[in-house]
Amino acid sequence: MDRSLQNTHAKLVARDIQRLTQSPTESNSFSLLGGACVSRVETVGTIVSRDLTPKFLKFGVDDGTGCVTCVLWLNQLTSSYFSRCHPDTILLLASAARKQAAEIRIGAVARVRGRVGSYRGVMQITATVVVVERDPNAEILHWLECLRLGQSCYRIQS
Amino acid sequence: MANTRIEPGVPITLQELYPSSQFYKEAVSLRVTGMLTGYSVETAIGVIEDAGKSLKINTQNLRDVSFRVGSIYQFIGELHIEQPNNEAFLQARTGRNVDGIDMNLYRKTVELLRQFLKEEGNSNMVE
Repeated sequence: MDRSLQNTHAKLVARDIQRLTQSPTESNSFSLLGGACVSRVETVGTIVSRDLTPKFLKFGVDDGTGCVTCVLWLNQLTSSYFSRCHPDTILLLASAARKQAAEIRIGAVARVRGRVGSYRGVMQITATVVVVERDPNAEILHWLECLRLGQSCYRIQS
Repeated sequence: MANTRIEPGVPITLQELYPSSQFYKEAVSLRVTGMLTGYSVETAIGVIEDAGKSLKINTQNLRDVSFRVGSIYQFIGELHIEQPNNEAFLQARTGRNVDGIDMNLYRKTVELLRQFLKEEGNSNMVE
């Protein structure tokens, strides 16, 4: 299995993210139609849902080909997962997450990067970076990049 | 937490919205883009236009969007067909100002995206 994309954020449309299947050999890796193996993805779309809980913000991103659920964790100050990090780092991570969460509002176009995973049988993104796009052409350019990479890179079988 | 499934707004051009079109159906989720040519604050209904075709948009569910006639807007929502005139309007879920969008690039890219999705099938953009 081609692992060359394991450490990059694969630019995928929502339809392709939903079609990722668990790699039989690599945990936390997913393959696209038996081709490239990815664990991180990048997508751009309109935020169509927003559900804030004390621990995380769950939001839906619609890019016209599908809707992907994204989760932005907000529990850096309380989770034991971060206890190995330096306190200053934890504060920075918490601050960045809360700042990003505040910008996530329904109707905005966002670029989401993160780890892809399956939750209750549905693919979702655990977001590490969420950037609200101001350029009205950002989504169009993302579609074009997805098409180019989809045809020239991601679907080539190893 | 409930995992409600939201249908994606299929990007189309207003020229593709005519009574015999595959997109001209009750409750179909669409993404439309055009210049705002009229807006009523009382009814929250606007009209967008692109290449000579227009569509009514019901914006009553939108907040934090200011409307300015002459600007270009993009809406995602569900299409409803009013009877007996068989006239369509979009019940918008989201809306945003997209002044500066390259509409020619947008139309061409939507076509390319449909072709790309069609090659592997199972897309609601390409029934």
